[in-house]
Amino acid sequence: MASIWKNNRAVLIVAALAVVLFGGMIQSMEPKVWVSVMLSGLTLASLYFLVASGLSLIFGLMDVLNFAHGVLFVLGAYVGLATYMNPRLLLNTLPIFFVLIAAVMMAQHVGRAFWPRISGKRNQRLATIGLLLAAALLMILALRGFPIRALNAFNLTAVGGAVTTANAQEPLAMMFRRLLLLALAGVPIGILLSPTDRQDEVPLRPLWQTALITGGAALLGVVLLLVRDSGETWMLALSPDIRFLLALIMGTIAGALGGVAIETALIRPFYGNSVTQLVLTLGLSIAGIDLIEAMFGEEANPPMPPPTLFGENCRSDSLINWFSENCQSIDVLGRAFPTYRIFIIVVGVLVFVAVGLMLRRTRLGMIIRAGVQDSEMVQALGINVRRIFTLVFALGSGLAAMGGVIAAPYLGVFPGMGAIYQLQAFIAVVIGGMGSFIGAAVGTIILGMARAFGDHFVAAGISLPFLDTIIKGSPAIARASTVLIMALVLLIKPSGIFGKKE
Amino acid sequence: MTTTQKNVLEVRDIQTFIGQFHILDGVSVDVPDGSITVLLGRNGAGKTTTLKSILGLTPPRAGAVIFKGKEIQGQPAYRTAAKGIGYVPEHRAIFRDLSVEENLRIAERKAGDLARREEFIFGLFPDLKRLIKLPGGNLSGGQQQMLAVARALVPDNELLLIDEPSEGLAPVVIEQMMEAIRRLSEHTTVLLVEQNFIMASRLADRYTIIETGQSVKSGMMADLVDDEATIQRYLGAA
Repeated sequence: MASIWKNNRAVLIVAALAVVLFGGMIQSMEPKVWVSVMLSGLTLASLYFLVASGLSLIFGLMDVLNFAHGVLFVLGAYVGLATYMNPRLLLNTLPIFFVLIAAVMMAQHVGRAFWPRISGKRNQRLATIGLLLAAALLMILALRGFPIRALNAFNLTAVGGAVTTANAQEPLAMMFRRLLLLALAGVPIGILLSPTDRQDEVPLRPLWQTALITGGAALLGVVLLLVRDSGETWMLALSPDIRFLLALIMGTIAGALGGVAIETALIRPFYGNSVTQLVLTLGLSIAGIDLIEAMFGEEANPPMPPPTLFGENCRSDSLINWFSENCQSIDVLGRAFPTYRIFIIVVGVLVFVAVGLMLRRTRLGMIIRAGVQDSEMVQALGINVRRIFTLVFALGSGLAAMGGVIAAPYLGVFPGMGAIYQLQAFIAVVIGGMGSFIGAAVGTIILGMARAFGDHFVAAGISLPFLDTIIKGSPAIARASTVLIMALVLLIKPSGIFGKKE
Repeated sequence: MTTTQKNVLEVRDIQTFIGQFHILDGVSVDVPDGSITVLLGRNGAGKTTTLKSILGLTPPRAGAVIFKGKEIQGQPAYRTAAKGIGYVPEHRAIFRDLSVEENLRIAERKAGDLARREEFIFGLFPDLKRLIKLPGGNLSGGQQQMLAVARALVPDNELLLIDEPSEGLAPVVIEQMMEAIRRLSEHTTVLLVEQNFIMASRLADRYTIIETGQSVKSGMMADLVDDEATIQRYLGAA
């Protein structure tokens, strides 16, 4: 106990001061006001946390500052939106991804045999350029004229919509021709991405396993295409609650797969060269948003309607009543608070507890915690750290994407929705201490509270104890509060609240 | 050498670069089964790099590392280690946030490794049993060194690479550590790096001297102890 005091004196003093100040401020507020402001803060904190936890784990374990993390948040939101409201887009595009991924995985085995036959740096470079050109050409041929705009145009929850499904979809024969070309395009990409005999590379799966996985994926793609019409009607006929759950799952999986793709293609070849990794993820944060715009359109979608669980137009007196009434808001000390935001808070808490338990109680968690401190020693114990890296990347990316899905009914869905969340998550991670999971949680709560109370005081003014005048702030102050807090924390403890001194 | 003992490890003329620096320029070491072999040499001669090159943490660019009759150079460290090589690095590399128990458990390669070895490990280092729930970072230097050695004993390792086990330890603790290494060497082969010549000479059966990245002399420890000229030349005043 004494040593905790000695090591964190400055932090503890400032924390105590902050609590006193905070107490003084809410003193002058009615409980119903500050409780609802606090709940708003927790809502924000929960969304920040879903982005920040992955950032923090990824940085802690692999020293990678992933600037593309916000892209995964946006990706999750869009995939969630499509699953929830426009399944025809998914049913027509998923086969493309399945077949492409299958072809790439299969071709990695070809690459294993291909590269050793190319001798000399010059020939290898020529082969690389040739393969890149072939891949680009085949991809263009395969995707040229794909009716992505028509597939995207939909009216809320109705089958078809702005463009009817029958008109938006391409005939099956055309789609199969595209799939064939995509399978061909996957070959040069797979050869380019095939692991060489470089050090500590994750080894390829045995051929039969790859064949089984890729065969399954390709088959699934074809089946999806064959049942796309009935599939759309079936999905839209599901209850919105089930569809929302599906949206959460699909969004999270899409994010995790996106994370794996980023890690394998961009991060893995450059471990130990963090500047290159940083520049690559920074570039991807721009290109990724462009890709999302190209795929889903640039225009902003209105907030996704929350599932019926939070949809009845009424106000419940208590949580118990809400369970039977499913009202969209709930009475908190006489003020209405949206129940969907309570759901956001609950998801944040559940993720915190689940990941925390995983880190504390499982062997994987033990390896991650050890790897954060010394990944070389973990390697020396006979553990394939690179595989753990990929796993953690997938986990962090999946969480960010899940954040995107649950943010969709709250924020709306638009290409720029991730930027502010990524920035806030970065700041939260810096405040909490890079690589500390608890730190990420504490940092996001501080930022969420600062933002919510900042906004409140901008709107309502602030009356400090012993002062009669009400001070009004400008909106800029509320926004700047985040950076002010970061500056303050860094001045007192440069490694962040829970950061380790190096 | 005329011994008929089989070598559990043979290092053949390895060349290792770290970045642009040519650290090892021809190191060869034989480690006979069941022996304690020590790498001697001045600071910066390349002893630690030799251990890391064997494991694959700094992979050699040329030469061969032969473990149990098979070449293992060029493989990632996790695969080399899993073949049965334990590593006790310089500065111990204890996982500070993990408890002592977790520090041991993470080294398991099969479920139950720790349970099988517990008795042996706590027999060597009775202190650890008392500290089992503490975070590794709260241990003293000597206790951390014991934990680092204990960690390497959890799985079935046929070879332990131990780097400077006496570094920064009090004389009493050094005695304890020597006794522990002597006892564990009845079960596993040990390749040791040790600056403390007195400790090295009392523990080791064989030695290899490394001088500026080259192995310059190997032989039986018993012969080296009387060879004042060699000691003076390669190790400075002993």
